[in-house]
Amino acid sequence: MQGLSIFQSAMTDTYVLADAPALLARARAGDLTAFEQVYRAYEVPVYNLARRICRTVEDAEDVVQETFFEVCRSIHQYRGDGSLWGWVRTITASKALMRLRRNKYRDADEFEDELHRAPRNDSGLRMDLEAALERLPETSRAVVWLHDVEGYTHEEIAGMMGKTVSFSKSQLARAHTRLRRWLGEEPAA
Amino acid sequence: MTHLTLEQLVQLREPGLEPGVSSLRAHLAECPQCQAEASRLDQRSARLRALPALRPARDHWSALERQFKVERRWRLVRRVSWIGLAAAAGFAVMFAIRAARSPSGPSKQIAIDEAKARSQQLEQLIQSYNPDARVTDGRTVRVAGELEDRIALLDQQLAAASRLDPRGRDAQLLGLWRQRVGLLNALVDVHMTRANAVGY
Repeated sequence: MQGLSIFQSAMTDTYVLADAPALLARARAGDLTAFEQVYRAYEVPVYNLARRICRTVEDAEDVVQETFFEVCRSIHQYRGDGSLWGWVRTITASKALMRLRRNKYRDADEFEDELHRAPRNDSGLRMDLEAALERLPETSRAVVWLHDVEGYTHEEIAGMMGKTVSFSKSQLARAHTRLRRWLGEEPAA
Repeated sequence: MTHLTLEQLVQLREPGLEPGVSSLRAHLAECPQCQAEASRLDQRSARLRALPALRPARDHWSALERQFKVERRWRLVRRVSWIGLAAAAGFAVMFAIRAARSPSGPSKQIAIDEAKARSQQLEQLIQSYNPDARVTDGRTVRVAGELEDRIALLDQQLAAASRLDPRGRDAQLLGLWRQRVGLLNALVDVHMTRANAVGY
């Protein structure tokens, strides 16, 4: 995309859009090419976040559509106080969590059996971690991703999920307990 | 010796000092086993952050662009619809005022004839546009329907007024005919402005 460059940090925490003020002004004026630039800049991180939270590819794709549609409709409300990516990311997380609630995925307790069957010595660490993350109950996975990867605080996560801070903390601990077991990282007895 | 649980280690990573945390920190500072566990926890988080980004299998832009265009068209139609209704209300008020100050005698009959002629012209204009044969969205149909209902109601009032005593009849007929012209003007606006706006 001409005139557009994106810097992405290792933590996928900072996506800086070149010449963002001018681009936003065009987007606010209804210029669809400006929206396309915003879309091109953030489509991967938005999809990645949605996919990490949602159970299926289809749900994640729906979240991508809903997020960018919301960005287009609400662009006038973005005042530039924080980063544009921070704003887009919060919309994505909210949409994904909303979908999670709507779909009423399987209860976390149903995973107990799977948990005990989980392999302990998989080879290929990255694949292990991907598989283990994918295997977490939806709520735990959402919390661990939002907290450890996206950098949200427990207060922010609790606010987005409509739960308490204690709930967010306990879900994070549960997620790490399971990941530790599935990755074979438990301390020797 | 009781080692820290994973929940406690997770708690220790958070900023701030909650009750009981200082004793946990003291234990962590002295216990190599808990330090190793805390280190594994940090490494696991770091590995999560280092996972490669998942990429969408297909491009969503064209679908989004279509959605944006539909949304934009809806906004425009909504605006035009409100303008149409506001114009109708304005015309109705204007003609009610005019009716109150209406001329008397033969000049009143002339004014009625003028309003009738104008009403016919507008109806012909709408017929020539032929809205029934065009692709129309739901909101335009609803607004046009509301205006047509009001015109139908006026027609009933006109029929009733024509049977009144000649003394008060002309004043009432004039007011009603002028209201009819106002509503027809609004109907033309709804159809024509929309047609121009969306390029039909």
